[in-house]
Amino acid sequence: MEVQFTDQIEQLKLGAGATFHGEGILAITKALLQSGVSYIGGYQGAPVSHLLDVMVQARPYVEGLGVHVEPCSNEASAAAMLGASIHYPLRGAVTWKSIVGTNVAADGLSNLASPGVVGGALIVVGEDYGEGASVIQERTHAYAAKSTLLLLDPRPALDNMVRLVEHAFAMSEASNMPAILELRIRACHVRGQFVAKDNLPAKLSTRNLIEEPAGFDYMRLAHPPVTFRHEKLKVEQRIPAAQRYIVAHGLNESLPGARFADVGIIVQGGLTNALLRGLQRLGLADAFGGSDLPLLLLNVTYPLVPEQVSAFCAGKRAVLVVEEGNPEYIEKDISLALRRLDVQTAVHGKDMLPMAGEYTVEVLARGLAEFVARHLPEVDLGPVRAWLAATEARRVAVVGQAGALPARPPGFCVGCPERPVFSALKLAQQAVGPVHIAADIGCHALATFEPFSSGHSILGYGMSLASRAGVSPMMQRRTLAIMGDGGFWHNGLLTGVQAALFNGDDAVLLVMKNGYTSATGTQDILNTPDDAAKAQAEQQAQLHQSLVHKNQSIEDTLKGMGAQWIRSVHTYDVDSVRQTLQDALTSDFNGLKVVIAEGECQLERQRRVKPWNAARLQRGERVERVKYGVDEDVCNGDHACIRLSGCPTLSLKDNPDPLKLDPVATVLEGCVGCGLCGANAHAATLCPSFYRAEVVRNPRWGERLLARWRERFSAWLRPAATA
Amino acid sequence: MNAEPICILVCALGGEGGGVLAEWLYDCAVLAGHSAQATSIPGVAQRTGATTYYIEICPLPDHQLGGRRPVFSLNPVPGGIDLLVSSELLETVRQIGAGMASAERSLVISSSSRALTVAEKMTPGDGRHNAAALLATLQRHARECQVLDMPALALAQRTAVSAVLLGAIAGSGRLPFARSLFEEAIRRSGKGVDASLRGFAAAFAAVASNRAQQAQAQAYAQALLAPVAAAASMASGVDSSAAAVPEALRSALPEAVHAIAALGHARLCDYQDPAYAALYLQRLQAVVAAERAADPAAAQGWALSCAAARWLALWMAFDDIVRVAALKASAARALRVRREVGASADEVVKVYDHFKPGVAEFAALLPAGLARRLTAWDDRRRGRGLEPWAMPIKLGSHTVFGALALRILASLKGQRRRGSRFAVEQALIQRWLDAIQRGAAESWALGHALAECGRLVKGYGSTNERGKANLLHIAEQLAAARAGASAAQRAAAVAAACQAALADDAGSALDATLAAHGAPARPLRAQPIHWYRRRPAPADAAEPGRVRQH
Repeated sequence: MEVQFTDQIEQLKLGAGATFHGEGILAITKALLQSGVSYIGGYQGAPVSHLLDVMVQARPYVEGLGVHVEPCSNEASAAAMLGASIHYPLRGAVTWKSIVGTNVAADGLSNLASPGVVGGALIVVGEDYGEGASVIQERTHAYAAKSTLLLLDPRPALDNMVRLVEHAFAMSEASNMPAILELRIRACHVRGQFVAKDNLPAKLSTRNLIEEPAGFDYMRLAHPPVTFRHEKLKVEQRIPAAQRYIVAHGLNESLPGARFADVGIIVQGGLTNALLRGLQRLGLADAFGGSDLPLLLLNVTYPLVPEQVSAFCAGKRAVLVVEEGNPEYIEKDISLALRRLDVQTAVHGKDMLPMAGEYTVEVLARGLAEFVARHLPEVDLGPVRAWLAATEARRVAVVGQAGALPARPPGFCVGCPERPVFSALKLAQQAVGPVHIAADIGCHALATFEPFSSGHSILGYGMSLASRAGVSPMMQRRTLAIMGDGGFWHNGLLTGVQAALFNGDDAVLLVMKNGYTSATGTQDILNTPDDAAKAQAEQQAQLHQSLVHKNQSIEDTLKGMGAQWIRSVHTYDVDSVRQTLQDALTSDFNGLKVVIAEGECQLERQRRVKPWNAARLQRGERVERVKYGVDEDVCNGDHACIRLSGCPTLSLKDNPDPLKLDPVATVLEGCVGCGLCGANAHAATLCPSFYRAEVVRNPRWGERLLARWRERFSAWLRPAATA
Repeated sequence: MNAEPICILVCALGGEGGGVLAEWLYDCAVLAGHSAQATSIPGVAQRTGATTYYIEICPLPDHQLGGRRPVFSLNPVPGGIDLLVSSELLETVRQIGAGMASAERSLVISSSSRALTVAEKMTPGDGRHNAAALLATLQRHARECQVLDMPALALAQRTAVSAVLLGAIAGSGRLPFARSLFEEAIRRSGKGVDASLRGFAAAFAAVASNRAQQAQAQAYAQALLAPVAAAASMASGVDSSAAAVPEALRSALPEAVHAIAALGHARLCDYQDPAYAALYLQRLQAVVAAERAADPAAAQGWALSCAAARWLALWMAFDDIVRVAALKASAARALRVRREVGASADEVVKVYDHFKPGVAEFAALLPAGLARRLTAWDDRRRGRGLEPWAMPIKLGSHTVFGALALRILASLKGQRRRGSRFAVEQALIQRWLDAIQRGAAESWALGHALAECGRLVKGYGSTNERGKANLLHIAEQLAAARAGASAAQRAAAVAAACQAALADDAGSALDATLAAHGAPARPLRAQPIHWYRRRPAPADAAEPGRVRQH
């Protein structure tokens, strides 16, 4: 990837006493180094991508500390990487997006947790839940409970998050349990500060290698009969050890109430700030986090410490458990603990707070109001109720005044090489009839939004080809599976391609080969164009070119596996993409047909090309830029071009012709001249209003002369009066 | 002491630098010795979706807090926003609609500009959300609001919108920081500093002056409402200054129709010749006569004739190769292109035009007999499962050959008259005009509705064919007298069908409307579709994949 993290890397180098300023996820990354990790791995995905991206670029520095950094091929390989801590006192950390990444990693996690670890093992997951989430709404908590993993949900203050990372390793070693640290989206991106410590070189590392492999020890294998013993160890030794650690080091924070002692609130650490703001709304907390009610902040949400919970609840009439998402694991654990210890405190939670959805300040305030009304009648709820009512009224009023607002889902970038493929797919289906489209995770999933509204199912990252296995045998027409190169390597190659080849399926696979992975990150993968190819490109005049064809690893792999029908197409050539798709969907060949749509990620291309062009202009050299345009007097105001593109820079403006009323299409600043408009105009026979303009800065003298001569000629041709 | 944080919600679109802005604001606070926190929902940030950033700043410097540290919220609180800053009008209102801003507390700084959503852009007619309503809503739910065209400012200063946003925030005076501090934060960020400072200064000045004279905000409002109002006024007529009114026209038509008829007249002179323009006038007079009969007192202000004058002119000046060539070859166009691509005088501009004329386009210029033969040949090809014949051209209009080609095509006006399409169009136009007159004879409303249906005819090729087919079906089926459907009812039905026909190009909305009013469905139009049936391999055949595996 072309993005640079120079500043972030400087923050990672800070020594004891220096103040760190930056995002939560970077603070966690720094905490890993302060904890003396030996190895770091993971698979990118919002909101935790930064951890790995920064580490990869910081390699020269962290390798100095003896830390091994490895971007894994998927979450399963990341989980397996933690196996190093089963035998050896190595601290290791991996990261991924949850819930999806944890699902992929589940097998490894179970087999890691069963024998347990001797070196601290930490998994930093982005809990992709609530506003801004891009995955299914499920909780990581279930995995912690079923596989007996420590689960930390830190109060989102940087110093506290860092403190818990350091404890997570120690607690993992004290209990032999691997630990998960979950961070919600806003906590990953929170910008704050903490006082740094020196980074700690690991005892065993790439700089200080292990002399001898560990001796054979069956207990370290996740294999019967010892797995039965492992299960007992989990409940008899590991969980108790963890609980002792939690209490001994005060990982959970118990705050006394300033006004009330006989009611309290137990909250997931990560929700603390929202809860406090909610309490402020009820006049029950101040700006410094001082609360009128006693609070128990659970920085560790699994395992709970029954004694700690009961001690908090003892002598209280009621407690409110603030726990986001469902099922309500913590609330149930607490109710059970109190029942067993015969503590009669009333436990509220999902009876007053919603079962599903993000716990925003407003949502919490509503629940708190109900709790307070029930148990603290002396508190005046007038103001908070007025505020909530006013908010509702305002929402209704705005709908009345402004009407229902059109949504603004994310779309393909300007000049994205994947957009033309969906234009072609739309046209192809007009010719061969609509087909069942198995979609996938990746940028191409943006085609599920307007103007393409394409795709029938999304079963997971790289799962498209596998997900049509049951459909295509039942379907009169062929089905189409779409997969990005990211998904191809993550999982699609094995779950999809191998299965289709092995079963000789009559399937069509469209691979989006843009050379990078992850919509948010453009991280490198096996088929990313190498530096040599990029350096070579700079020498050539045509800077705008795609380089993905320089790396044939996908094609070679497919051939090696026995795929016989493989076609590569350049995505911007809409007509040939359309033709190739039609061929694939109608071919007499009944095996797996793979169409590889080649077009390098435009973001990466622009990041690479812009500095080159800037330098050329600096040197006063010839630079050519391309921009498309629409002739306003030729455009027919039907907007068919937009229904085939949806490019952010292809927009509308008022019709300059006083006779016409419908707005005309227009190309905005920021057009990168990808060529789709022209290609669509031809492929779909759109109106003849599009033009392609090539603007040459610092033209050569010959070029200049020719241009002047041509202009004279055209001027001479033109009649006096023109439209 | 009041340590309630200052709460700032920033809405930006992916790629506008909202992240940088949040970082600047955080750095400002740190530089000033205030505690602060920033966070974001970047969404799929560079993917042009909506993104939000949320910043809380303690109004008091740390040294006044007696060693205590404020606890900030990660979530914006509805009604608890002090500063709502947004680079796009619709997104501003979206946050207001979420209840974030309130008239009691919030200072709203918003761009007046719209980045249209795909849903708005893709409708065949005009799907743009009413900008005036958005602005009105914004002003109603803000304690104070500052509206300025941020992308324009950014473009003028050749910088990112984020710098403009920061300037607007600083200029609003809502934060307890000196201007120099904001600029210091920009300098420290180290990238594109000078451009950012320019954008910052421009926005700072704009907002500061606004605050000096709040009337300014109203001016922005007016500026925003103007195009909308203009469009509205056009619906009835255009301002008479638009074109000089020829004498022939002045005497033949009522005053109210002059302005728009003059435009139409001029358009047709340019499109074909004065004779053709005269034909326009003659046709228009027939419509005027019909309206005069239907509405002798001109109570409707000649709205029927105005509509007819507009759409008749556009239909008579139907787009064809000749017209397009003329427009593309004009001098005005050459200048416009240079302006649109922002080419400076010393830059060379090469312009390529994308044409794909098919059989229909050429047949249009040929005499009926030849045209029929050519069309028949293409139909036979399509019958054989081939694609309709067409010639994709990427014509270098800046080259001698290109300019010459356009000039020659543009000079074929005469041939257009002799061409097959010309006659066809005239016949169809007459059918429409007859329908209007029949309708007007029944009721003014019906005639008017039919006249407005002229809007359906536009564009080229299939779009144009579809439009004409829809129009004539509405005019001759839906408008035709039916048992139990009064003229008024049919007028309403026609108006509804006209709207529906513009809703989607598949025409599903139109079909629904037709059915709803008991009109016959549109005739199916023959169109070869190559449905493909999968041919599963016989069970005993070994599949290639399997063979390799074993």
